[in-house]
Amino acid sequence: MKYDIVIVGSGPAGTVTGRFAAESGAKVLIVERRSEIGVPVLCGEGISRKIDEWDMLEGDRWIAGRMDGARIFSPDGTMVVLSAEVAGNETGYVVYRDIFDQELAKKAVKSGVKIMMNTQALGLIKEDGKIKGIKVKNFDKEMDIQCDIVVGADGVESRVGKWAGIDTTLKPNDLETCCQYTLTNCDVKDSYCDFYLGSKKAPGGYIWVFPKGNNVANVGIGILASLSESALAKKLLDEFIENDRRFEKAEPIRFLAGAVPVARPIESVRDNLILVGDSARQVDPITGGGLTHCLEIGKIAGEVIGKALKEKDFSQEFLSEYETRWKEIIGKKLKRNYMVKEILHEMEDKTLNMLADSLKDYKFDELSTLSLIKALVLKHPTLLMKLKPLLKLSEL
Amino acid sequence: MGKPKAEVDVSNCLACGGCISVCPNDAISMCAGKAFVDKDKCISCAICIRTCPVGAIRGEDY
Ligand SMILES: Cc1cc2nc3c(=O)[nH]c(=O)nc-3n(C[C@H](O)[C@H](O)[C@H](O)COP(=O)(O)OP(=O)(O)OC[C@H]3O[C@@H](n4cnc5c(N)ncnc54)[C@H](O)[C@@H]3O)c2cc1C
Ligand code: SF4
Ligand code: SF4
Repeated sequence: MKYDIVIVGSGPAGTVTGRFAAESGAKVLIVERRSEIGVPVLCGEGISRKIDEWDMLEGDRWIAGRMDGARIFSPDGTMVVLSAEVAGNETGYVVYRDIFDQELAKKAVKSGVKIMMNTQALGLIKEDGKIKGIKVKNFDKEMDIQCDIVVGADGVESRVGKWAGIDTTLKPNDLETCCQYTLTNCDVKDSYCDFYLGSKKAPGGYIWVFPKGNNVANVGIGILASLSESALAKKLLDEFIENDRRFEKAEPIRFLAGAVPVARPIESVRDNLILVGDSARQVDPITGGGLTHCLEIGKIAGEVIGKALKEKDFSQEFLSEYETRWKEIIGKKLKRNYMVKEILHEMEDKTLNMLADSLKDYKFDELSTLSLIKALVLKHPTLLMKLKPLLKLSEL
Repeated sequence: MGKPKAEVDVSNCLACGGCISVCPNDAISMCAGKAFVDKDKCISCAICIRTCPVGAIRGEDY
């Protein structure tokens, strides 16, 4: 079997890369070990309105709710509001991630991408050290697939990068370990995404409440693996839900565990190989959001693959255009937010309370981590001294 | 008897991949939709045990 490109993983990174590679003329196969795309859902399902600009999703079946803003609660409950009123518009969506992923897959297929389900990638095929394809297991049958480029879109646990010599192992302080209930019959009426901070509530992370409409909400927690103990994430989440009146009569309709890389950007190309999405750690280290990056960067990956095919050049040097371009778009943001993450995690609860108190009446001109950081630096130049040069460097 | 090696309780594993991404010795992989520890590779560091959000991994004397 021979394709131009084999992509491991049918998440948003894989399907968007596949679509744009196919549109630029490549013969593309996606291998996915699951038996349904997007299932089980492993996601908080919040996404910014930015995706509207790219117009990659058809219809609105993937939208569960439209968001008016976000509220951040400090450990003592002080609330900071980033609202649409201030920001000027709806700010984002809560999505049905299974439908979201399947819509992206449909687009890819329309562009000519082939998909093989129940197929686990087992390793790379190499000849004289050069990547020539990939070994997979489809149900019980092992097979070799030849290709010019292997794309690792295999998510947080990525193996593909390792097979090609890229160290993707995460340090425990670069991983948020998560779990989430989707609860029904909640008393959640407004359209705000809520975030709760505090070393007791969610050490090194946060608890989130994302409303999905009709009194359904995703209520989840992420804690830093370096501060975690066995089953601590679930215990803290259960305590939060137990003590919140909005969930008094609520019951779960889904429970999931998840893992989010909150690391510095890594290398993402080798000869005949590209990493995209969570496998390349293209996730915002503060929020843990990765979906918008998959869409924006998957498109770039697909375009560069198309060029490589035209030139018949699959070298790391040629493919590095992909890395240069994605790092131009989000590299600075990821680096800056990584540093902010480190600073935030060192802060004591009382410092967080003080910061929240100083921002509680602040009018944000935009809903983004950058506008939050700018406001903090403005209010507390000494406290956040470390950040100041960084902010100048990375004015977006 | 050496230090305890990691053991996954497959009925509790929700396949989040967290343990796999932090294991310093690549001892864990996803097998039939559940995390699986290669005991020969496990160096008993217990990182995966602490990481698991639902407590599906424990140390087992070996
Ligand atoms: C609990 C949680 C909450 C989150 N909340 C948000 C949020 O609210 N907003 C947001 O923007 N982001 C959120 N994220 C992050 C977001 O889910 C990821 O950034 C996104 O899913 C990354 O997409 P991807 O395509 O890179 O990988 P994935 O969506 O993880 O897809 C990887 C695919 O590869 C497959 N695969 C892996 N290995 C193999 C193999 N060897 N062979 C075959 N197939 C393989 C997997 O089965 C999977 O289908 C959250 C993550 C978690 C865990
Ligand atoms: S961390 Fe726990 S739930 Fe997640 S894959 Fe590993 S054993 Fe399974
Ligand atoms: S105990 Fe350490 S080496 Fe063993 S499987 Fe867990 S993380 Fe890997």
